Amino acid sequence: MFAYLTAVATLVGVRSLLTLGLNVQWGLTGLVNLGVIAFFGVGAYTSALLAVGGTSILLAWPAAVGVAAAAGAALAMVALRLREDYLAIVTLGFAEVLRLFLLNETWLTRGANGVTGIPRPLHTVFAGRYDIFYLGLVLLAVVLAYGALERLRRSPFGRVLRAIREDEIVAAVAGKPVFRFKVQAFALGAGIAGLAGALFAHYLAYVEPNMFLPQESLFVWLALILGGSGNNRGALVGSAVLLGLLEGTRFAKDVVPFLTGVRLAAAQQILVGVVLVVLMVRRPEGLIPEKTESN
Amino acid sequence: MPAITQYVFNGVVTGGILALPAVAFSLTWRLLRFPNFAVSTYLTVGAYAALALNVGLRASLELAWVGAVVVTAVTALAVDRIAFRPMRGRRPFSLAIASIGVAFVLENVVRFVWGNDFRSYDVPVTRAMLIAGLRVGREQLLIFAVAIALMALAQTFLVRTRLGIAMRATADNAGLAAVKGVPTERVVAAATLGGGALAGGAGVFLGLDASIDPLMGGSVIISVFAAAILGGIGSGPGAFVGALIVGIVEEVGTLVVPPTYKTAIGFVIILAVLLVRPTGLAGARS
Repeated sequence: MFAYLTAVATLVGVRSLLTLGLNVQWGLTGLVNLGVIAFFGVGAYTSALLAVGGTSILLAWPAAVGVAAAAGAALAMVALRLREDYLAIVTLGFAEVLRLFLLNETWLTRGANGVTGIPRPLHTVFAGRYDIFYLGLVLLAVVLAYGALERLRRSPFGRVLRAIREDEIVAAVAGKPVFRFKVQAFALGAGIAGLAGALFAHYLAYVEPNMFLPQESLFVWLALILGGSGNNRGALVGSAVLLGLLEGTRFAKDVVPFLTGVRLAAAQQILVGVVLVVLMVRRPEGLIPEKTESN
Repeated sequence: MPAITQYVFNGVVTGGILALPAVAFSLTWRLLRFPNFAVSTYLTVGAYAALALNVGLRASLELAWVGAVVVTAVTALAVDRIAFRPMRGRRPFSLAIASIGVAFVLENVVRFVWGNDFRSYDVPVTRAMLIAGLRVGREQLLIFAVAIALMALAQTFLVRTRLGIAMRATADNAGLAAVKGVPTERVVAAATLGGGALAGGAGVFLGLDASIDPLMGGSVIISVFAAAILGGIGSGPGAFVGALIVGIVEEVGTLVVPPTYKTAIGFVIILAVLLVRPTGLAGARS
């Protein structure tokens, strides 16, 4: 049971990071990214492939952040000129194309077999207690990212991002290079998602393309909206509640007799969809609404 | 290796199927001001509704098709009433997110009931005909003929009937149309029913032409979006032409890129259109 809780806590940490990344893009800046899982995947694969190839994790993890951020910047440069409803479609499509790439470019990604034997950092040092060590590592990353993003939110940079979210024409009139800020925010969010991906890959020691299905982006969105987009605390709370919801219902299989694995997964996803729709209709500000700047 | 004309032919048939949800998607986007991601899931709903009638209740596929059209239209209306109507006037992206939630629910209801297995309709296997060197399935011809007929019907409705004209007026300028006495909600209900019917009917065709599984609607979502965007959002004929082009390019494209990248072709079309000519083929207005 303890091991199970440790595993769940680790995944909550990884998801929190991912949600924090999306919060920079959508919550802070108002940029639509329905392909957030793609940057998670880019980070996971970058770090996994480098590390399997013998690169030190001290290099592989920053590389994961860098490549994911670069991918984010590239997509942003092309797509952020579009209206947001088009942007929704383009980012979703990007995630699907990335998954196809992971599946088909076997020479680089090893295709459907995935990447196995991803090294776990300091595995020999913390043998026996490794899961707890790794949980600590993930939580450290979450705390650092949270602290940095809280500072960023209040900084002049963060204020510009929020100004762009509220009214980008006003921000532009105030002399802010809106497009450049948008690209930077998008890249930053993508980089954080990439870090989450790297932590995820080295935790499982295995990645495969179907871990990064486009629908996974929806879970990130749900966590963000559930917690309350625009504030980093909401991103953490939403991720924890969402995973609690998913893990809590997992045990329903032992209680309800006709519930097969497929049915359970389907029922969970129905729940996710229903919660998302009800939230959007009834409480779009989420559990912890963002404090507005009237103070 | 089959001639390129064979690929073009298959593409035309696929395009005919895609045209139905593309028109539904394009017109409701224009009318309700948000891209409804659930439209492609209506294909799945239609396909399984027909499966239940055809395999479960032993109805003929023709009858099952009619049933699927009705079931999907009603589903679409119910979705609109429950999810979208309380959100009218909200930011388009909020509605888009809600529609993804809806798509998720519908797809998984199907999965909950029928599981993940591939299924097919109970229809006699027919041998493809050879016409001028082309392998032509009877079903393919039938599908394409019905798709064309439905497109013509939809266009006639939009241009000739009072309700259709009201629909176009509302799509153009909802406020002005309402002031002129157009009952907005009735127009929305009619468009939703019609769109659901087209997508549901297309789902049966897709199930007949390819196979039936819970992901079938999701797997064509990019192609449907590509068709609508290429045609120009809000244009029925545009979406139809767009769908034919997307269908053909995707099929012929598999000669150049691996077939597994088919979806990527749709994505490239979307990007190209949005960057070069965002209003699409028909586009006078954005």
